Amino acid sequence: MRNLYVGLATAMTLSAVAAAAAAAGYTSDAQQSRLEFVGVQAGAEFKGVFQKFTADVDFAPETLAASRIDVQIDMNSVDSKDKDRDTTMRGKDVFDVAHNPTAHYITKSITKTAAGFAAVGSLTLRGVTKDVPIEFQFTPGTAGAKLTGSAKLNRLDFGVGQGDWKSTETIGDAVKINFSLVLKPKG
Amino acid sequence: MPNQSTPTRYSAVAQGFHWLIAALIILQFTLGWTAGELPLGARKLARLDWHKSFGMTILMLAVLRLLWRLFNRAPELPPGMSTMEKKLARLTHVLFYVLLFVMPLTGWIMSSAKNYSVSWFHQFTWPNLIGPNERAFDILRTTHDTLSWLLFALALLHILAAFKHHFWNKDDVLKRMLPFTKSEKQS
Repeated sequence: MRNLYVGLATAMTLSAVAAAAAAAGYTSDAQQSRLEFVGVQAGAEFKGVFQKFTADVDFAPETLAASRIDVQIDMNSVDSKDKDRDTTMRGKDVFDVAHNPTAHYITKSITKTAAGFAAVGSLTLRGVTKDVPIEFQFTPGTAGAKLTGSAKLNRLDFGVGQGDWKSTETIGDAVKINFSLVLKPKG
Repeated sequence: MPNQSTPTRYSAVAQGFHWLIAALIILQFTLGWTAGELPLGARKLARLDWHKSFGMTILMLAVLRLLWRLFNRAPELPPGMSTMEKKLARLTHVLFYVLLFVMPLTGWIMSSAKNYSVSWFHQFTWPNLIGPNERAFDILRTTHDTLSWLLFALALLHILAAFKHHFWNKDDVLKRMLPFTKSEKQS
């Protein structure tokens, strides 16, 4: 009987180690993953996505300290289903993609919450780095996993909107971010 | 009941609709035409934001006005007008009613096609009537713009006709739409 307990404990330890080892390694599937932002223009919401971004994820619910999410966003790939608006957003007063072609988000700490997980990470956008908290759910699948969540930020914290675009009457300051990452094992 | 017999004057409700909508249309011309001259930017969006909110207000008023008009009779046209003049007057009025709906609707659909949803004074957002469509937007913008000139021409004709009746024919066609006046009994 005692041997059985030892055996069980060993098996559990081994599987925990295996899980920790599995914490290393996912990349986002470019086709199926989605990174969306929701802004307010003239009092009405509008949505845009970044067509090109990569997420590098090390995650296991058991080893949150060793877990991290690292996202690189190609700011040129912004698509809000209107050419004029996309051109304006790429311009120097908004994203200034000529000088800041990529945005980067990397988590600094991840914690368990009632609904899933929460993380604080630093976002570098338009040359400004600031902490942005996110909330997400992690659903392991047979081969990979799915990571979905959201965040909120204020665009003016990052200088997104210069000149006339600073006015929050026309374009709201608050922006919602929604992401849905389809993760596949690395390598 | 005032709507049982043909009145000699426009009622307070009819006058209210007429003058409120007239004032809003003048405002709409100012906002719409000046916004059209502005380059793409925050100032243009802000002006069109007001234009859309007032436009949707006119659409709501137009629905109420049409309903009210269907259940209430307008004063008869003065005697002595030729059949041609009467037909022209009726045509003008019918066209006004049509444009009261078509102007806001083309604006609404055109905003939908541009994927710039229409807000009502930042209180709520109207649903998009069609999906993003660049070609539809171009056609609708041209239509909206062209019809604004038709509306302008009709309004000019309408005003000139009112003055012609007042000063030339010396009938009460103008007076019966004016508050704080008394119309003489029709002879």
